[in-house]
Amino acid sequence: MNIESSYTFKGVSQELLWKTLQDKESLRRSLPGCKSFEEIAPHTYKSELGINIGPVKGVFTGDVRQVDIKEPESYRLLVIGKGKPGEIDAKADMVLEETEAGTTLICRAEVKVTGVLAAAGQRVMSGVAKVILGQFFKDIEKETKEMAKL
Amino acid sequence: MANVIGASLKRKEDPRLLTGNGRFSDDIQLPGMLHAVILRSPHAHAKIKKIHAEEALKSQGVVAVYTGKDLEGKIGPVPSSWLVPDANLKEAPQYPLAIDYVRYVGDGVALIIAEDRYVARDALDLIEVEYEVLPAVVHQKEAMQEGVPLVHGDIENNIALHWKAGEVADEIINDAEVVVRESFYVQRVFPSPLETRAAIGQYDAGSGELTLWCTSQNPHIHRMVLSDVLGISEAKLRVIAPDMGGGFGGKIGVYPDEALVGYAARDLKRPVKWIEQRSEHFTASNAGRDEIIDVELAGKRDGTLLAIRVKNTANLGAYLSTMGPGVATIDFGLMITGAYDIPHASCETFGVYTNTTPTDAYRGAGKPEATYQIERIIDLYAREIGMDPIELRRKNFVRKEAFPYTNAQGLLYDSGDYEKPLEKALETLNYEELRQKQRELSKQGKLIGIGFSTYVELCGFGPSEVAGAIGFQGGVWENSTVRVHPSGKVTVYCGTSPHGQGHATTFGQVVAEKLGIPMDDIELVFSDTKSISMGWGTYGSRSTAVGGAAVSIAADRVVEKAKKIAAHELEASEEDIVFENGKFQVKGVPGQQRTFQEIAKSANMAWNLPEGMEPSLEAQSFFKPENFVYPFGTHAAVVEIDKDTGEIELKRYVCVDDVGRVINPLTAEGQVHGGIAQGVGQALWEGAVYSKDGQLLSGTLMDYALPKARFFPRIESAFTETPSPVNPLGAKGVGETGTTASIAAVMNAVMDALKPYNVKDIEMPLTSEKVWRAIQDGEGN
Repeated sequence: MNIESSYTFKGVSQELLWKTLQDKESLRRSLPGCKSFEEIAPHTYKSELGINIGPVKGVFTGDVRQVDIKEPESYRLLVIGKGKPGEIDAKADMVLEETEAGTTLICRAEVKVTGVLAAAGQRVMSGVAKVILGQFFKDIEKETKEMAKL
Repeated sequence: MANVIGASLKRKEDPRLLTGNGRFSDDIQLPGMLHAVILRSPHAHAKIKKIHAEEALKSQGVVAVYTGKDLEGKIGPVPSSWLVPDANLKEAPQYPLAIDYVRYVGDGVALIIAEDRYVARDALDLIEVEYEVLPAVVHQKEAMQEGVPLVHGDIENNIALHWKAGEVADEIINDAEVVVRESFYVQRVFPSPLETRAAIGQYDAGSGELTLWCTSQNPHIHRMVLSDVLGISEAKLRVIAPDMGGGFGGKIGVYPDEALVGYAARDLKRPVKWIEQRSEHFTASNAGRDEIIDVELAGKRDGTLLAIRVKNTANLGAYLSTMGPGVATIDFGLMITGAYDIPHASCETFGVYTNTTPTDAYRGAGKPEATYQIERIIDLYAREIGMDPIELRRKNFVRKEAFPYTNAQGLLYDSGDYEKPLEKALETLNYEELRQKQRELSKQGKLIGIGFSTYVELCGFGPSEVAGAIGFQGGVWENSTVRVHPSGKVTVYCGTSPHGQGHATTFGQVVAEKLGIPMDDIELVFSDTKSISMGWGTYGSRSTAVGGAAVSIAADRVVEKAKKIAAHELEASEEDIVFENGKFQVKGVPGQQRTFQEIAKSANMAWNLPEGMEPSLEAQSFFKPENFVYPFGTHAAVVEIDKDTGEIELKRYVCVDDVGRVINPLTAEGQVHGGIAQGVGQALWEGAVYSKDGQLLSGTLMDYALPKARFFPRIESAFTETPSPVNPLGAKGVGETGTTASIAAVMNAVMDALKPYNVKDIEMPLTSEKVWRAIQDGEGN
């Protein structure tokens, strides 16, 4: 399943957005339902997310790795998540494009799911993913403001 | 009681079942009973690296956790029971729990046993399995290509079997005036009985006897196979099938799960119960169909059919199920000519392993698929030569005088009169007028379609020699014991085991008629390997034709002995005794008689029996039929399609079935109705959907559409009766006719409605979207 979503951060420079997206604390505060988030190796994180949208319900533990880092334009996220409703294996390309209005963050993900997520959740998965990503983008936007103050 | 056979008696079973007094698997409660759940693979193909069960074991109430490795060497693989010969059959061992690799979503990985089922279910989430996910293959034609993942590393091209029957020379096809070709996909569907599967094991450490209650359509086959898998004497394994909420083929299979429950009960020396969840059922219970059928039908422009050449590529799933290998080969391939006298026929079948749940027999097992391809292609042929589909059928029907008739694939059709049900159906439909109405409505822009299916199917799985020749690991004869108690009440032990068919009623009627006693005096015993000497199961519409025949013969033997006793007591010769309405009467001497009950007492007391006669009144029969039975008939569907939405409305459904002698028209009609619902379900609504990586996307009843009563018009059902010569009842089979016939009838009706757009096929199920698209892409749009 492919999921694509983008968000324009008005008046935010590519550099500032990059910095925010790389900041552990900002990420911890922005990830929806984040219960824990720790860096276990450079660019590798372990996290626990509590998600409750329709059939996608429960605590997911996930390993997130950043690869192909091209500061400040793009990076690739490799996500392996596990929860009661099933497993998630996602590869997401994150692209930061500076525009006149600010910076647009484009997320293109290829997602594989198993279990209930596949059997019952697939129909609503892309919708759920968009809700989660939208929430994440909005929170990151707030974080950029904090980051700008530093 | 006279004339009980043929009477529409209400089901003897119903008062008990409808008042909540049935005893289904989940009703069984045993002291100290533990509960099992099975952890199943979320991946279609993966290597099991490690299983962490420590957390689950620490959980309060969890008694044991078994993995495939724990059971290695202690419990054998569960084999297939249909080893089709001359097919280069490659059977990969299916261990009750996966050891190194999981091969489909739903493959068993661990067995958890706990004090209650909630604890067991919660413990499921505490087991962590490290998988190395491997590429999967789902589609059977893809699976046969080079370079695709192998389901079993050592089985080349994933080909489990390659089977051929018959030969059609290329010239016949090449030189024919007309050749119609089409590829049909009879999609994967789920049998979906109301009750899911279940098993309960109880081990008696003193006697060493293991009792296994399980949802089985064939308890004796379960006993035979599982005694081997579990390494327990067949004499110490007792299998009982309690009341069952349907099976439809999905409960023929001997599954790993039942073996696991039996093993755990013996290992822990405590009763263990396992009840399958509905969502679990979608991935863990055998599915049906999933066959890609390429057909070529050749003949003359005048409608004379000459040859049919078929290739079937069947998806067998990750392992060979109990009957899986026989469905797309024997059951399908020998029936491809249907009700028509087509001189040349050939079928080539590939059975293919994929990373999906195994497929097995599902209501009709191969015959709905065979009927589907011939009934669909014959309509396309009629369209090609511009002939009415009814006329083409009539022209090619096997003639009434030709029976017993040997079809091109060598099967001997027992009896038939194919015109008879067709005429009756046309009359009910008012066919000519209906066609006229169709033309008129078409002028108003309405899409009406009329479709037929004039089927014949192979039923009454019977002759043992044939079973042996086709590799079926069973005897498929039947037996019955009729035991008459001193009071004249009767207990009848029956080999075939019911799961919704109403055997107690129909078999009861046979006994009531034969012995001249009330239905209420007859108790029937089924489904317990300890009380019944043998039985080969209820599938392939064989119960009445084979099992019912065994009951009938045993009852005749009782009468035969009773007559001797009556003659002795009445001091008459046996030839002078007439048995009527439950009384043994000396011919021409009114008042000189004995009732059945009086003779029952005499036989059991044995105070004064004829010289040399053994006491008691009891007879057993072992019936091995000489041939299969071949029910036939005509099903017709009338549909209306909404041009703007693609929605199909089933306006009328008319069926005339000839199932030989009908024992009980009421229950027979019930069987036909249910069968039609499942066939129409396949045509219009049902369909398993897998993602490319082997995830089942239609894994809930929200995503998988089962037929509902309100989707149907009142089914107009009738019977004609052409008795079968191969059993004493003259009965054929009725359980599968509806499914076998209806898929093609509905599809042909829809294709007929879409004829203005020159649509020739739409892949089932016919969702509104697919129909709408076909209209949009069709001619004239």
